Amino acid sequence: MVGIFGMYAFDENWEISRFIYFGILGCQNRGQENAGIATFNGEKLSRFADKGMVEEAFRNDEIFKGLPGWCGIGGVSAFTAENEFIPPIFSEKGNVAVSMNGKITNCEEIDPQIGKKPHGDMKIVANLLEKSIEKNNSVNAMKEVMEKIKGAYSLVALIKRGDMIIARDPHGIRPLVIGGHGFDLGVISSESAALDVTGSDLSRDVKPGEIFVFEPHSIEKDDQTFKNRNTYYCSFEWVYYARPDSIINGIHVHKARYKIGEFLAKENPVEGADVVIAVPETAFPFAMAYSKVSGIPIDLGFVRTGRHLRTAIKPTQIERIIGVQLKLNPIRNAVRGKKVVLIDDSVVRGSTLRNTVYLLKKRGAKEVHVRIGSPHIIAPCPFGLDVPSQDELIAKHNTEEEIAQIVGADTFAYLSINGLCEAIGLSQEKLCTGCFREKYPYL
Amino acid sequence: MIIEGGLMVNIKVLLIGGGAREHAIAEALVRSTFEPKLYALVGVKNPGIKRLVEKSGGEIVQGNDKDPKLAAEVAGKFSVDFAFIGPEEPLFHGVCDAIEDIAGIPCVGARQKPAQLEQSKAFMRRLMWKYNVEGRLRFKAFLNIQDAVDYIDEYAESVAIKPARQAGGKGVKVIADVQAYLSDEKKAVKEKHAQAVFEEHMKPYDDIEDRILIEERVEGPEYTAQCFTDGNIVEAMPLVQDAKHAFEEDIGPETGGMGCFSGKDGVLPFITIEEKMDSVKIVQQLVNVVEKEVGEKYKGIVAGQMMFTDGWGPTIIECYSRFGDPEGTSVLPLLKTDLVEISEAIIGEKLHKVKMEWDNTATVVKCIAPKGYPRRRDLAKDHPLAIDIKAIEERGGRVYFGSVSEENGQMVTKGSRAIEIWTNGETIEEASKKAESCIPHVKTLDGWDLFHRKDIGSPELLKKRIELGELQREIFKYRKAKGLVGRRIDWIPGKGKLEYIS
Repeated sequence: MVGIFGMYAFDENWEISRFIYFGILGCQNRGQENAGIATFNGEKLSRFADKGMVEEAFRNDEIFKGLPGWCGIGGVSAFTAENEFIPPIFSEKGNVAVSMNGKITNCEEIDPQIGKKPHGDMKIVANLLEKSIEKNNSVNAMKEVMEKIKGAYSLVALIKRGDMIIARDPHGIRPLVIGGHGFDLGVISSESAALDVTGSDLSRDVKPGEIFVFEPHSIEKDDQTFKNRNTYYCSFEWVYYARPDSIINGIHVHKARYKIGEFLAKENPVEGADVVIAVPETAFPFAMAYSKVSGIPIDLGFVRTGRHLRTAIKPTQIERIIGVQLKLNPIRNAVRGKKVVLIDDSVVRGSTLRNTVYLLKKRGAKEVHVRIGSPHIIAPCPFGLDVPSQDELIAKHNTEEEIAQIVGADTFAYLSINGLCEAIGLSQEKLCTGCFREKYPYL
Repeated sequence: MIIEGGLMVNIKVLLIGGGAREHAIAEALVRSTFEPKLYALVGVKNPGIKRLVEKSGGEIVQGNDKDPKLAAEVAGKFSVDFAFIGPEEPLFHGVCDAIEDIAGIPCVGARQKPAQLEQSKAFMRRLMWKYNVEGRLRFKAFLNIQDAVDYIDEYAESVAIKPARQAGGKGVKVIADVQAYLSDEKKAVKEKHAQAVFEEHMKPYDDIEDRILIEERVEGPEYTAQCFTDGNIVEAMPLVQDAKHAFEEDIGPETGGMGCFSGKDGVLPFITIEEKMDSVKIVQQLVNVVEKEVGEKYKGIVAGQMMFTDGWGPTIIECYSRFGDPEGTSVLPLLKTDLVEISEAIIGEKLHKVKMEWDNTATVVKCIAPKGYPRRRDLAKDHPLAIDIKAIEERGGRVYFGSVSEENGQMVTKGSRAIEIWTNGETIEEASKKAESCIPHVKTLDGWDLFHRKDIGSPELLKKRIELGELQREIFKYRKAKGLVGRRIDWIPGKGKLEYIS
């Protein structure tokens, strides 16, 4: 997964790199392995990217001095890659920088060599764009590229003639919003929360298939060429990826999560439980609603050690376990001798959940009933969600009862797919639920 | 003018100014039942005004419309009954004073001294504080750049940095400095902008002493409360909201206004009738206190460019001594009362005797500008235009010519908003849709891009404005209940309570 951000000043007096920094910090939830920024100052494109959280990668002021300019883009990413492939990435000749969230599915047709490389798809888009801008204006260049690429993508590109190109795939799988900052700046981001962090105002979602171009003296737009395709918004955004303070495709994430908790309580009640506790932090709104509907009191179950990490998107098993162990120190008093409803957002491999249930039982929980705020994940995501291969997915190979035994819980239940769609408030036809159904809207 | 059987006939009117706003004024004047002969003094030959003048049997004079002597001369030459002044700069230059004092011809328009209400933003703010006019903002005026920079250095605040004088609507920068972690970047921009105000925007003007104005920044939906005044009472027009950002979705640089809309019943979806009355009361107060201050009556058009803020409710952002552009274009076509009759009443201080009537429909004005506007007017200039007026009128639209001139029979852009399209309807949304159907009938002949804002009057934009209005209104209600309107109380650790009073 990738979080993307861009900011464009229509007044050259602005130095933009710090804004981009706080913008990608606001997207940190979408990727914690790498962070990068590229800027343009009228003469050259500059780029800095490194491994680590945003605050680690951009560790000193010197880095910002190397990023001059009034427009820039940034990215955070959740994968491990060579520096060259950390977003924003440069095109071959260095005339284009691209931050992209999603996955191009026909890479190998376009460029077999780069297409094979992990995360080569962003490079392919940058190269296509670089070629196309030589003979087209920026809107038409992006249009031409969009006619060639398939898959899911939300992207922001900075090109050397001083334009910023913004595009969202015609099916709108990955989120993207546009906003403004006073009279001087246009802003683009994966999530609206990053606009809040930079003090910008949300205008609206970039529509599926829509292209925007920020130019020094205008904003160009094409909302006609790729309009009226079916939209398949990624349902996992509302379950896990997006910040609860964001609005994704016009739907408040927190509201959707609260609703998920309500459905979870109705679909899978636990009779006579003493307490509801949430696995921090995504599951908090699920647990609040579960408690409200069921009448079972909610309590604080865990305290975190160290900084906030999103354990599910850590690349290796050992990192995930370390993450969970550090993240979750159970509060004895909250669970000892109690029949506990434990709420988590999702289960991928089950290993971290097993650890969590084990910790609770060790601290004296009498019973642990696990309720998951998403349907079972049984298939990988071809559109850029970091879901492991099928042989690693616990739900692909086990029933709920079997999973309960594996993780050491008394009972275990998922949210239904219908429950999820209803909680989000969109019909299944408008959502991508591919990882839950092993059936994708298109490929 | 001749009076026949108690009726005025053969009336002659001189219009000063040649933009889209003046085109709308000209149209309102010539549709008078008195069938006046219209004369015009214009900087550039506005094709719309030219046509109306010729049709009325008057004459159009091209010349410096800011030159008081020339204006008096033209008024005298045609021995007009009165002059109607469109733009603000002629007022600041004393055009009314000259026409009245030299030619002995009355004017609809403020004389130089009362026109300071708009000319000097520092004068206006001081006046508001001196006479405790409601809806005033905290401000500081600076005579030199160093003091302004020192002030910016010391205080990290959300501010509006403005030229102290009205500078054609240019040079205003509003910076929200809320995130402490981005304060340094914002400070740098504030200082650079103060420099630009001092060196560029204020450079042409030596008619006032103050140079830079720094005001507290406020938030809320904006609206323009335009009024006729005879110096005694004000008569409000329908409220209008202007769209200041150059590009759609409220993004991009500030412009003179890319268009506007007005609602039915004289109000806007986000401003109540009571709030309108409170706003007009403020404008009335301004007319009264400016006379007290300068000793001359304010006669003509006056407008509060206002915002509904959480701190004050209706708040004055700036004052206009004329119709807004494009706000004037929004309401003038709705005016059912005879503009000649209103003009005579303004001049004769009998405005209370005139019954104001407006066509009760919603309006939308969309401005069409060549790409390059507003920051690179040099690029936006000199593009030939083709306008299918018939097609636009068939769709219920009206065309007002702005920054265009007719050169050798060809219309060309002059760098600013070239054409204004006016439409009306039962709702703002309906008028907006109508306007959109008119827009494709304006084109450049050299392929240069034109742009306009589709979103003006769209349901999405209106919803956003209503939400913003409600947010501000809720806080305002709380402040009113707590006796906090217009007050700010700080607690300085170690010093104690501090309240900002003028």
